[in-house]
Amino acid sequence: MSKITTSQTIGPFSHEAWQWAVDACTPADLKTSGPTVLVSGIIYDGDGNPINDAQIEAWTPDAAAREAEHMIPGFRRVPSGADGEFSMRIAVPEHAAPGEPLAYITVFARGLVKHQFSAVFLEDAAGLSGSAILNQVPEARRATLLARKTGDGQYHWDIWMQGEKETAFFDYV
Amino acid sequence: MKFDAIEPGVYPELVYPAYKSTVKRGPLQPNLRIEAPVPVTRNIVAGPHILLPNDTDLTAHGQGEPLGEKIVVTGRVVDEDGKPVRNSLVEVWQANSAGRYWHSKDQHAAPLDPNFHGLGKMLTDDDGRYRFVTIKPGPYPWGNHDKAWRPAHIHFSLFGNVYAQRLVTQMYFPSDPLFDYDPIFQSVPDEAARQRLVSRFSLEHTVGAEMLGYEFDIVLRGRDATPMGL
Repeated sequence: MSKITTSQTIGPFSHEAWQWAVDACTPADLKTSGPTVLVSGIIYDGDGNPINDAQIEAWTPDAAAREAEHMIPGFRRVPSGADGEFSMRIAVPEHAAPGEPLAYITVFARGLVKHQFSAVFLEDAAGLSGSAILNQVPEARRATLLARKTGDGQYHWDIWMQGEKETAFFDYV
Repeated sequence: MKFDAIEPGVYPELVYPAYKSTVKRGPLQPNLRIEAPVPVTRNIVAGPHILLPNDTDLTAHGQGEPLGEKIVVTGRVVDEDGKPVRNSLVEVWQANSAGRYWHSKDQHAAPLDPNFHGLGKMLTDDDGRYRFVTIKPGPYPWGNHDKAWRPAHIHFSLFGNVYAQRLVTQMYFPSDPLFDYDPIFQSVPDEAARQRLVSRFSLEHTVGAEMLGYEFDIVLRGRDATPMGL
C-alpha cells in the first residue's frame, strides 16, 4: 500500500489562515501587464445548493512572468461567498502552448475530504480542439471545463461537485 | 515527477454518509487520470518574502502569552522516494486550547483567547523540515451527530515542489480517545493511513522546561523528482 499522508477536509474554519494569499491576489493589488479576463461563477453541491465555504485556487504558470511583483505570481485564491459565488481576475498567458487551460484549478470545501483538481478553459480560446488535456476528458464532460463568454473580457464558469453537470476532476499521472 | 495511482482505502471516501456533508459534496465520478506535463513539473513560487516574523510562533500573535499547553510541532516533508521536499510552503491553522477557532462562524461556547489566533505558515528547509511553536488545541463539538466531538487536531496545507503534490490534511495527537467516534478520521478506510495522521510525542524535540515536542512527518505523492528537486 502507498505510504503517502492521506487527505482530510479543509473544514469550515480555513478563512483567517488562508486570507493572506487571498489578499495577495485581489484585483486591487494586481500588477499584471497585458490582458486579463474575469472568470466568475458559483460552486454547487449535488442538490444544486451553493457551497458557501469553499476555497478555490487558480494557477496560471505561463502568466507568472507578467506578475513578477506579486507575492505569488500567477496564483489566485478566493473563498466562495454566501451564495457560493466566486470571481477571479486571471491573466491571459501570451506564450502558453495551444490547448493549455487558462488556469489550473484546485477546489477545497467542508465536506470535501480530498481537494479536487480541475482546469478552466475559455470557450473561445485558440487550440481547444487540439488540447491534450481536453482530449483526455470524455467528450460529454468537456463542457464542464469551458468558461462561457458573457461580455468583453468576462466569462462565467460554474463548479458542480455532483450531478449531471459534475465538473471533470483530475488525478495527474 | 510521476504520480502512481493510489490504492483504494488510502484516501478518505469522498462520500462517507457518517460525515453528513460529504453526501452532496463528494464527487461521484472517479477522478480522470490524465497526463499533463505542467502540474507534474512546475509549481507556484512562494519564497521567503511571504513570511512574517512570527509566522512560526503562534504563541507570539497577541499582547501576552496565550493560555494552554505550549508545544513545538516539527517534521519532515518527503516525497514517495523519501526525498526531502525543500523550500516548500506549509500553512497551519487550529483551534485554541479551549477548542475555539478564531473565526466568525465558530459558535462553540468556549472562550476565545485574545492572545491566540491559531494561524501560521512556513517554508521547509533543505532537509524538508518544518517547525512551529503553538498551543495544544482542544477538542470541540461540531453538530454532525449527537455528542459529535472532533479529536484535537492541527490543519495542514502543503504546496509541495510540483503542483500535483498539493495536500490539505489534519494532524492528530497520540492516543486520542475520540478517534473511534470521529467520522472525519474514520472516513479513511485503511488503518495504517489513518495512523499516519497521528503525530508522535518526541523527547528529542521537547524543549527543556518550556514545551513538549511532537513530530509529524508528511509523505507527499510523487516520485522520480528531477535532481534539482523539481
